[in-house]
Amino acid sequence: MSIKALIKPVSDLGPGEIALRLTAIALLLRPTGPWSVRPVIIALAALVLLVPVVMRAPATWFALSGLVTARIIWDWPIPDNHLYLLAYWCLALALALGSSNCQRVLSASSRLLIGLVFLMAVVWKAGLSTDYLDGRFFRVTLLTDPRFEDPTLLLGGLTANQLHNNRHYLEPAEGSKRTPDGPTLVEPPPFRRLVVLLTWGALITEGLVAASWLLSFAVWPLNLRHPLLLMFCAGTYAFAPVAGFGWLLLAMGLVSCPPERRVWRAAYIAAWILVLLYAEVPWAQMLLDV
Amino acid sequence: MTEDGSHNPGGMWRAWLPGIVLIVIALAQVTLAKTAELSPWKGGGFGMFASTDVTASRTVRVYIKRVDSWEPLEIAPSHTVHATQAKLFPSNAMLTRLVLAVVSREQSYSRPVNAVTVEVWRTEFGIGSLEAKDRLVRTFTYRVDQSAD
Repeated sequence: MSIKALIKPVSDLGPGEIALRLTAIALLLRPTGPWSVRPVIIALAALVLLVPVVMRAPATWFALSGLVTARIIWDWPIPDNHLYLLAYWCLALALALGSSNCQRVLSASSRLLIGLVFLMAVVWKAGLSTDYLDGRFFRVTLLTDPRFEDPTLLLGGLTANQLHNNRHYLEPAEGSKRTPDGPTLVEPPPFRRLVVLLTWGALITEGLVAASWLLSFAVWPLNLRHPLLLMFCAGTYAFAPVAGFGWLLLAMGLVSCPPERRVWRAAYIAAWILVLLYAEVPWAQMLLDV
Repeated sequence: MTEDGSHNPGGMWRAWLPGIVLIVIALAQVTLAKTAELSPWKGGGFGMFASTDVTASRTVRVYIKRVDSWEPLEIAPSHTVHATQAKLFPSNAMLTRLVLAVVSREQSYSRPVNAVTVEVWRTEFGIGSLEAKDRLVRTFTYRVDQSAD
Protein backbone atom coordinates (compact mmCIF):
# COMPACT_ATOMS: atom_id res chain seq x y z
CA MET A 1 0.00 0.00 0.00
CA SER A 2 1.58 3.30 -1.05
CA ILE A 3 1.82 6.37 1.15
CA LYS A 4 -0.65 8.09 -1.12
CA ALA A 5 -3.14 5.26 -0.58
CA LEU A 6 -2.63 5.48 3.21
CA ILE A 7 -3.64 9.10 3.38
CA LYS A 8 -6.12 9.33 0.53
CA PRO A 9 -9.58 9.31 2.10
CA VAL A 10 -12.34 7.10 0.83
CA SER A 11 -15.02 9.20 -0.78
CA ASP A 12 -18.12 7.40 0.45
CA LEU A 13 -18.45 5.15 3.45
CA GLY A 14 -22.19 5.01 3.70
CA PRO A 15 -23.36 3.56 7.02
CA GLY A 16 -19.74 2.74 7.86
CA GLU A 17 -19.17 6.39 8.64
CA ILE A 18 -21.43 6.10 11.68
CA ALA A 19 -19.41 3.12 12.92
CA LEU A 20 -16.17 5.07 12.58
CA ARG A 21 -17.60 7.94 14.59
CA LEU A 22 -18.93 5.58 17.26
CA THR A 23 -15.51 3.96 17.51
CA ALA A 24 -13.88 7.37 17.95
CA ILE A 25 -16.40 8.33 20.62
CA ALA A 26 -15.69 5.10 22.46
CA LEU A 27 -11.96 5.91 22.39
CA LEU A 28 -12.70 9.31 23.92
CA LEU A 29 -15.06 7.97 26.58
CA ARG A 30 -12.66 5.22 27.63
CA PRO A 31 -9.15 6.53 26.94
CA THR A 32 -6.49 3.90 27.35
CA GLY A 33 -2.76 3.56 27.68
CA PRO A 34 0.24 5.06 29.48
CA TRP A 35 1.10 8.75 29.10
CA SER A 36 3.25 8.04 26.05
CA VAL A 37 0.32 6.62 24.11
CA ARG A 38 -2.93 7.85 25.65
CA PRO A 39 -2.86 11.52 24.59
CA VAL A 40 -2.05 10.55 21.01
CA ILE A 41 -5.00 8.14 20.92
CA ILE A 42 -7.30 10.81 22.36
CA ALA A 43 -6.05 13.41 19.89
CA LEU A 44 -6.50 11.10 16.92
CA ALA A 45 -9.98 10.12 18.05
CA ALA A 46 -10.93 13.78 18.36
CA LEU A 47 -9.58 14.50 14.89
CA VAL A 48 -11.63 11.61 13.52
CA LEU A 49 -14.76 13.37 14.74
CA LEU A 50 -13.70 16.85 13.71
CA VAL A 51 -11.96 16.33 10.35
CA PRO A 52 -13.66 14.04 7.79
CA VAL A 53 -10.44 13.58 5.84
CA VAL A 54 -8.75 12.17 8.94
CA MET A 55 -11.71 9.87 9.64
CA ARG A 56 -11.58 8.33 6.20
CA ALA A 57 -7.82 7.98 5.84
CA PRO A 58 -6.42 4.45 6.32
CA ALA A 59 -3.32 5.88 8.02
CA THR A 60 -5.47 7.13 10.91
CA TRP A 61 -6.74 3.69 11.76
CA PHE A 62 -3.38 2.01 11.16
CA ALA A 63 -1.97 4.47 13.68
CA LEU A 64 -4.75 3.80 16.19
CA SER A 65 -4.32 0.05 15.79
CA GLY A 66 -0.59 0.43 16.34
CA LEU A 67 -1.02 2.64 19.38
CA VAL A 68 -3.53 0.28 21.00
CA THR A 69 -1.21 -2.63 20.25
CA ALA A 70 1.66 -0.74 21.86
CA ARG A 71 -0.53 -0.19 24.90
CA ILE A 72 -1.25 -3.93 25.11
CA ILE A 73 2.40 -4.87 24.80
CA TRP A 74 3.49 -2.22 27.35
CA ASP A 75 1.53 -3.80 30.21
CA TRP A 76 1.08 -7.33 28.96
CA PRO A 77 -0.76 -9.37 30.20
CA ILE A 78 -2.70 -6.83 32.28
CA PRO A 79 -4.82 -5.24 29.45
CA ASP A 80 -8.37 -6.50 29.09
CA ASN A 81 -9.58 -8.43 26.08
CA HIS A 82 -11.63 -5.60 24.64
CA LEU A 83 -8.39 -3.76 23.90
CA TYR A 84 -7.32 -6.66 21.69
CA LEU A 85 -10.64 -6.42 19.87
CA LEU A 86 -10.16 -2.66 19.55
CA ALA A 87 -6.75 -3.21 17.94
CA TYR A 88 -8.18 -5.78 15.53
CA TRP A 89 -11.13 -3.50 14.70
CA CYS A 90 -8.92 -0.49 14.00
CA LEU A 91 -6.79 -2.73 11.75
CA ALA A 92 -9.95 -3.90 9.98
CA LEU A 93 -11.01 -0.27 9.44
CA ALA A 94 -7.59 0.65 8.07
CA LEU A 95 -7.53 -2.30 5.67
CA ALA A 96 -11.08 -1.69 4.49
CA LEU A 97 -10.56 2.03 3.96
CA GLY A 98 -7.57 1.20 1.74
CA SER A 99 -9.52 -1.23 -0.42
CA SER A 100 -11.45 -0.60 -3.58
CA ASN A 101 -14.65 -1.95 -2.00
CA CYS A 102 -14.62 -0.53 1.48
CA GLN A 103 -18.17 -1.38 2.51
CA ARG A 104 -17.95 -5.01 1.39
CA VAL A 105 -14.59 -5.60 3.06
CA LEU A 106 -15.66 -3.86 6.26
CA SER A 107 -18.88 -5.82 6.47
CA ALA A 108 -17.04 -9.11 5.98
CA SER A 109 -14.31 -8.36 8.52
CA SER A 110 -16.76 -7.16 11.17
CA ARG A 111 -18.85 -10.30 10.70
CA LEU A 112 -15.76 -12.47 11.11
CA LEU A 113 -14.50 -10.61 14.16
CA ILE A 114 -17.86 -10.71 15.94
CA GLY A 115 -18.29 -14.40 15.18
CA LEU A 116 -14.79 -15.33 16.34
CA VAL A 117 -15.00 -13.32 19.57
CA PHE A 118 -18.19 -15.10 20.56
CA LEU A 119 -16.84 -18.45 19.40
CA MET A 120 -13.82 -18.09 21.69
CA ALA A 121 -16.08 -17.03 24.56
CA VAL A 122 -18.13 -20.21 24.09
CA VAL A 123 -15.02 -22.37 23.79
CA TRP A 124 -13.75 -21.03 27.10
CA LYS A 125 -17.04 -21.38 28.93
CA ALA A 126 -18.08 -24.77 27.60
CA GLY A 127 -14.74 -26.45 26.97
CA LEU A 128 -11.74 -24.94 28.67
CA SER A 129 -12.97 -23.58 31.98
CA THR A 130 -13.11 -25.99 34.92
CA ASP A 131 -15.59 -23.99 36.97
CA TYR A 132 -18.16 -22.47 34.63
CA LEU A 133 -20.67 -25.18 33.66
CA ASP A 134 -21.17 -26.29 37.28
CA GLY A 135 -22.26 -22.77 38.18
CA ARG A 136 -19.31 -21.92 40.40
CA PHE A 137 -18.28 -18.95 38.29
CA PHE A 138 -21.49 -16.99 38.76
CA ARG A 139 -22.00 -18.22 42.34
CA VAL A 140 -18.60 -16.79 43.29
CA THR A 141 -18.70 -13.72 41.05
CA LEU A 142 -22.14 -12.54 42.16
CA LEU A 143 -21.08 -12.84 45.79
CA THR A 144 -17.57 -11.40 45.61
CA ASP A 145 -17.38 -8.90 42.73
CA PRO A 146 -18.49 -5.47 44.05
CA ARG A 147 -19.57 -4.47 40.55
CA PHE A 148 -22.36 -7.05 40.75
CA GLU A 149 -23.42 -6.19 44.29
CA ASP A 150 -26.46 -4.09 43.43
CA PRO A 151 -27.92 -6.52 40.87
CA THR A 152 -27.26 -9.41 43.28
CA LEU A 153 -29.12 -7.69 46.09
CA LEU A 154 -31.90 -6.67 43.72
CA LEU A 155 -32.44 -10.01 42.01
CA GLY A 156 -30.78 -12.63 44.21
CA GLY A 157 -32.98 -12.40 47.28
CA LEU A 158 -30.04 -11.71 49.58
CA THR A 159 -29.85 -9.07 52.26
CA ALA A 160 -26.79 -6.86 52.53
CA ASN A 161 -25.83 -8.68 55.72
CA GLN A 162 -26.09 -12.08 54.06
CA LEU A 163 -23.97 -10.86 51.16
CA HIS A 164 -21.34 -9.58 53.58
CA ASN A 165 -21.27 -12.90 55.44
CA ASN A 166 -21.07 -14.84 52.18
CA ARG A 167 -18.04 -12.79 51.16
CA HIS A 168 -16.41 -13.57 54.47
CA TYR A 169 -17.16 -17.26 53.93
CA LEU A 170 -15.51 -17.16 50.50
CA GLU A 171 -12.23 -15.89 51.89
CA PRO A 172 -9.68 -18.70 52.29
CA ALA A 173 -9.55 -19.83 55.94
CA GLU A 174 -6.27 -19.46 57.84
CA GLY A 175 -4.34 -22.68 57.45
CA SER A 176 -7.27 -24.09 55.50
CA LYS A 177 -9.07 -24.76 58.79
CA ARG A 178 -12.61 -23.49 59.16
CA THR A 179 -13.98 -23.00 62.69
CA PRO A 180 -17.39 -24.47 63.60
CA ASP A 181 -18.78 -21.04 64.45
CA GLY A 182 -17.45 -19.44 61.29
CA PRO A 183 -19.60 -17.89 58.56
CA THR A 184 -21.91 -20.12 56.54
CA LEU A 185 -22.91 -19.79 52.92
CA VAL A 186 -26.45 -18.53 52.29
CA GLU A 187 -27.87 -19.01 48.80
CA PRO A 188 -31.66 -18.50 48.72
CA PRO A 189 -33.71 -19.92 45.82
CA PRO A 190 -33.83 -16.63 43.88
CA PHE A 191 -30.03 -16.51 43.98
CA ARG A 192 -29.71 -20.08 42.75
CA ARG A 193 -32.19 -19.40 39.96
CA LEU A 194 -30.23 -16.29 39.00
CA VAL A 195 -27.03 -18.34 38.82
CA VAL A 196 -28.61 -20.95 36.55
CA LEU A 197 -30.18 -18.27 34.36
CA LEU A 198 -26.92 -16.36 33.94
CA THR A 199 -24.76 -19.47 33.47
CA TRP A 200 -26.81 -21.07 30.72
CA GLY A 201 -28.32 -17.88 29.35
CA ALA A 202 -24.89 -16.40 28.65
CA LEU A 203 -23.58 -19.64 27.13
CA ILE A 204 -26.58 -20.24 24.89
CA THR A 205 -26.84 -16.62 23.78
CA GLU A 206 -23.16 -16.40 22.97
CA GLY A 207 -23.35 -19.67 21.07
CA LEU A 208 -26.26 -18.43 19.00
CA VAL A 209 -24.49 -15.14 18.30
CA ALA A 210 -21.34 -16.98 17.20
CA ALA A 211 -23.30 -19.31 14.93
CA SER A 212 -25.42 -16.58 13.37
CA TRP A 213 -22.43 -14.38 12.56
CA LEU A 214 -20.11 -17.13 11.30
CA LEU A 215 -22.55 -19.28 9.33
CA SER A 216 -23.74 -18.05 5.97
CA PHE A 217 -25.05 -21.16 4.28
CA ALA A 218 -28.61 -20.85 5.57
CA VAL A 219 -31.15 -18.07 5.88
CA TRP A 220 -31.76 -18.30 9.62
CA PRO A 221 -28.35 -17.01 10.63
CA LEU A 222 -28.84 -13.88 8.54
CA ASN A 223 -32.29 -13.21 9.98
CA LEU A 224 -31.22 -13.70 13.59
CA ARG A 225 -27.78 -12.13 13.40
CA HIS A 226 -28.68 -8.54 14.27
CA PRO A 227 -31.45 -9.17 16.82
CA LEU A 228 -29.24 -11.68 18.68
CA LEU A 229 -26.30 -9.29 18.93
CA LEU A 230 -28.56 -6.42 19.94
CA MET A 231 -30.28 -8.58 22.56
CA PHE A 232 -26.94 -9.75 23.91
CA CYS A 233 -25.60 -6.22 24.27
CA ALA A 234 -28.81 -4.81 25.71
CA GLY A 235 -28.94 -7.55 28.34
CA THR A 236 -25.29 -8.16 29.15
CA TYR A 237 -24.03 -4.64 29.60
CA ALA A 238 -26.74 -3.83 32.08
CA PHE A 239 -24.71 -6.05 34.42
CA ALA A 240 -21.21 -6.44 32.98
CA PRO A 241 -19.28 -3.25 33.60
CA VAL A 242 -17.39 -3.32 30.31
CA ALA A 243 -19.14 -0.69 28.24
CA GLY A 244 -16.15 -0.34 25.90
CA PHE A 245 -16.61 -3.92 24.76
CA GLY A 246 -20.31 -3.38 24.10
CA TRP A 247 -19.67 -0.20 22.14
CA LEU A 248 -17.17 -2.01 19.93
CA LEU A 249 -19.51 -4.92 19.21
CA LEU A 250 -22.35 -2.54 18.36
CA ALA A 251 -20.20 -0.42 16.03
CA MET A 252 -19.06 -3.60 14.30
CA GLY A 253 -22.58 -4.92 14.03
CA LEU A 254 -23.86 -1.65 12.61
CA VAL A 255 -21.33 -1.72 9.80
CA SER A 256 -22.73 -5.08 8.70
CA CYS A 257 -26.22 -3.70 8.20
CA PRO A 258 -27.17 -3.37 4.54
CA PRO A 259 -27.62 0.30 3.59
CA GLU A 260 -31.37 -0.12 3.13
CA ARG A 261 -31.88 -1.55 6.65
CA ARG A 262 -32.39 1.77 8.41
CA VAL A 263 -34.39 0.24 11.26
CA TRP A 264 -31.49 -2.01 12.26
CA ARG A 265 -29.03 0.88 12.05
CA ALA A 266 -31.29 2.94 14.30
CA ALA A 267 -31.51 -0.02 16.69
CA TYR A 268 -27.73 -0.26 16.87
CA ILE A 269 -27.40 3.43 17.63
CA ALA A 270 -30.11 3.16 20.28
CA ALA A 271 -28.35 0.16 21.83
CA TRP A 272 -25.05 2.05 21.82
CA ILE A 273 -26.70 4.86 23.78
CA LEU A 274 -28.37 2.32 26.08
CA VAL A 275 -24.97 0.83 26.96
CA LEU A 276 -23.75 4.36 27.68
CA LEU A 277 -26.68 4.88 30.05
CA TYR A 278 -25.97 1.56 31.76
CA ALA A 279 -22.41 2.71 32.36
CA GLU A 280 -23.30 6.14 33.68
CA VAL A 281 -26.59 5.62 35.54
CA PRO A 282 -26.52 3.49 38.73
CA TRP A 283 -29.84 1.90 37.82
CA ALA A 284 -29.53 -1.09 40.15
CA GLN A 285 -28.73 1.12 43.14
CA MET A 286 -31.67 3.38 42.25
CA LEU A 287 -34.03 0.41 42.14
CA LEU A 288 -32.70 -0.84 45.47
CA ASP A 289 -33.37 2.55 47.03
CA VAL A 290 -37.01 2.56 45.86
CA MET B 1 -19.22 -5.44 -6.70
CA THR B 2 -16.62 -2.73 -6.17
CA GLU B 3 -17.24 0.97 -6.24
CA ASP B 4 -16.19 1.16 -9.88
CA GLY B 5 -18.49 -1.73 -10.76
CA SER B 6 -15.81 -4.41 -11.03
CA HIS B 7 -15.33 -7.49 -8.86
CA ASN B 8 -12.13 -7.82 -6.89
CA PRO B 9 -12.21 -11.10 -4.99
CA GLY B 10 -8.46 -10.88 -4.38
CA GLY B 11 -8.96 -7.89 -2.14
CA MET B 12 -10.93 -9.92 0.40
CA TRP B 13 -7.70 -10.84 2.17
CA ARG B 14 -8.19 -7.48 3.84
CA ALA B 15 -11.37 -8.81 5.41
CA TRP B 16 -9.73 -12.02 6.58
CA LEU B 17 -6.51 -10.64 8.06
CA PRO B 18 -7.86 -9.16 11.34
CA GLY B 19 -9.75 -12.39 12.00
CA ILE B 20 -6.65 -14.45 11.35
CA VAL B 21 -4.68 -12.31 13.78
CA LEU B 22 -7.45 -12.80 16.35
CA ILE B 23 -7.33 -16.58 15.96
CA VAL B 24 -3.54 -16.74 16.21
CA ILE B 25 -3.46 -14.61 19.36
CA ALA B 26 -6.40 -16.51 20.89
CA LEU B 27 -4.78 -19.88 20.26
CA ALA B 28 -1.54 -18.63 21.79
CA GLN B 29 -3.50 -17.44 24.81
CA VAL B 30 -5.23 -20.79 25.26
CA THR B 31 -1.89 -22.56 25.03
CA LEU B 32 -0.31 -20.30 27.63
CA ALA B 33 -3.34 -20.56 29.90
CA LYS B 34 -3.24 -24.36 29.83
CA THR B 35 0.52 -24.81 30.02
CA ALA B 36 1.96 -21.75 31.74
CA GLU B 37 -0.74 -20.54 34.16
CA LEU B 38 -1.72 -17.44 32.18
CA SER B 39 -4.96 -16.09 33.59
CA PRO B 40 -7.95 -17.06 31.39
CA TRP B 41 -9.21 -13.48 31.63
CA LYS B 42 -6.15 -12.03 29.92
CA GLY B 43 -4.09 -12.42 26.80
CA GLY B 44 -6.70 -12.01 24.07
CA GLY B 45 -8.41 -15.37 24.30
CA PHE B 46 -11.77 -13.89 25.30
CA GLY B 47 -12.04 -16.18 28.31
CA MET B 48 -13.35 -13.43 30.60
CA PHE B 49 -16.51 -14.22 32.57
CA ALA B 50 -15.70 -17.92 32.14
CA SER B 51 -13.56 -18.67 35.19
CA THR B 52 -13.11 -17.74 38.84
CA ASP B 53 -9.39 -17.38 38.09
CA VAL B 54 -9.54 -13.58 38.02
CA THR B 55 -6.86 -11.05 38.88
CA ALA B 56 -8.22 -10.60 42.40
CA SER B 57 -8.08 -14.35 43.10
CA ARG B 58 -4.31 -14.44 42.59
CA THR B 59 -1.79 -13.09 45.05
CA VAL B 60 1.94 -12.60 45.08
CA ARG B 61 3.99 -13.13 48.23
CA VAL B 62 7.58 -11.98 48.39
CA TYR B 63 10.13 -13.23 50.91
CA ILE B 64 13.59 -11.80 51.27
CA LYS B 65 16.67 -13.36 52.79
CA ARG B 66 18.90 -10.81 54.47
CA VAL B 67 21.69 -12.71 56.19
CA ASP B 68 20.50 -15.93 57.80
CA SER B 69 16.74 -15.66 57.87
CA TRP B 70 13.80 -15.16 55.56
CA GLU B 71 11.25 -12.42 56.13
CA PRO B 72 8.11 -11.42 54.25
CA LEU B 73 8.36 -8.23 52.22
CA GLU B 74 5.46 -5.97 51.35
CA ILE B 75 5.35 -5.11 47.66
CA ALA B 76 6.25 -1.48 47.11
CA PRO B 77 3.79 0.70 45.18
CA SER B 78 6.39 1.17 42.46
CA HIS B 79 6.43 -2.62 41.92
CA THR B 80 2.65 -3.08 41.73
CA VAL B 81 2.59 -3.40 37.94
CA HIS B 82 5.43 -5.93 37.92
CA ALA B 83 3.69 -7.91 40.66
CA THR B 84 0.40 -7.91 38.78
CA GLN B 85 2.08 -9.03 35.58
CA ALA B 86 3.87 -11.79 37.48
CA LYS B 87 0.74 -13.12 39.15
CA LEU B 88 -1.25 -13.10 35.91
CA PHE B 89 1.53 -14.89 34.04
CA PRO B 90 4.10 -16.42 36.42
CA SER B 91 6.78 -17.08 33.82
CA ASN B 92 10.50 -16.99 34.58
CA ALA B 93 10.80 -13.68 32.74
CA MET B 94 7.98 -11.98 34.63
CA LEU B 95 9.10 -13.30 38.01
CA THR B 96 12.72 -12.38 37.33
CA ARG B 97 11.71 -8.83 36.46
CA LEU B 98 9.84 -8.50 39.74
CA VAL B 99 12.68 -10.01 41.73
CA LEU B 100 15.31 -7.77 40.14
CA ALA B 101 13.15 -4.73 40.88
CA VAL B 102 12.91 -5.82 44.53
CA VAL B 103 16.67 -6.45 44.77
CA SER B 104 17.46 -3.12 43.16
CA ARG B 105 15.23 -1.27 45.59
CA GLU B 106 16.66 -3.01 48.64
CA GLN B 107 20.21 -2.33 47.49
CA SER B 108 19.38 1.32 46.82
CA TYR B 109 18.45 1.62 50.50
CA SER B 110 21.69 -0.20 51.44
CA ARG B 111 19.71 -3.08 52.92
CA PRO B 112 21.35 -6.50 52.64
CA VAL B 113 19.69 -9.04 50.38
CA ASN B 114 21.02 -12.53 49.72
CA ALA B 115 18.01 -14.05 48.00
CA VAL B 116 14.42 -13.34 47.08
CA THR B 117 11.58 -15.85 46.80
CA VAL B 118 8.32 -15.06 45.05
CA GLU B 119 5.23 -17.21 45.48
CA VAL B 120 2.16 -16.93 43.28
CA TRP B 121 -1.04 -18.22 44.89
CA ARG B 122 -4.52 -18.73 43.52
CA THR B 123 -7.79 -19.01 45.45
CA GLU B 124 -9.92 -21.91 44.25
CA PHE B 125 -13.49 -22.75 45.26
CA GLY B 126 -14.80 -26.24 45.89
CA ILE B 127 -17.74 -27.67 43.98
CA GLY B 128 -20.96 -27.41 45.97
CA SER B 129 -19.67 -25.89 49.20
CA LEU B 130 -17.56 -23.20 47.46
CA GLU B 131 -15.00 -23.75 50.20
CA ALA B 132 -12.12 -21.44 49.37
CA LYS B 133 -8.58 -22.75 49.42
CA ASP B 134 -5.35 -21.19 48.29
CA ARG B 135 -3.23 -23.20 45.90
CA LEU B 136 0.43 -22.49 45.25
CA VAL B 137 0.82 -21.88 41.54
CA ARG B 138 4.52 -21.14 41.29
CA THR B 139 7.57 -20.60 43.50
CA PHE B 140 10.58 -18.73 42.19
CA THR B 141 13.81 -18.10 44.09
CA TYR B 142 16.59 -15.79 43.01
CA ARG B 143 19.94 -15.83 44.74
CA VAL B 144 21.66 -12.51 44.35
CA ASP B 145 25.15 -13.93 44.04
CA GLN B 146 24.21 -16.86 41.82
CA SER B 147 21.13 -17.36 39.65
CA ALA B 148 17.43 -18.14 39.71
CA ASP B 149 15.86 -21.42 40.77
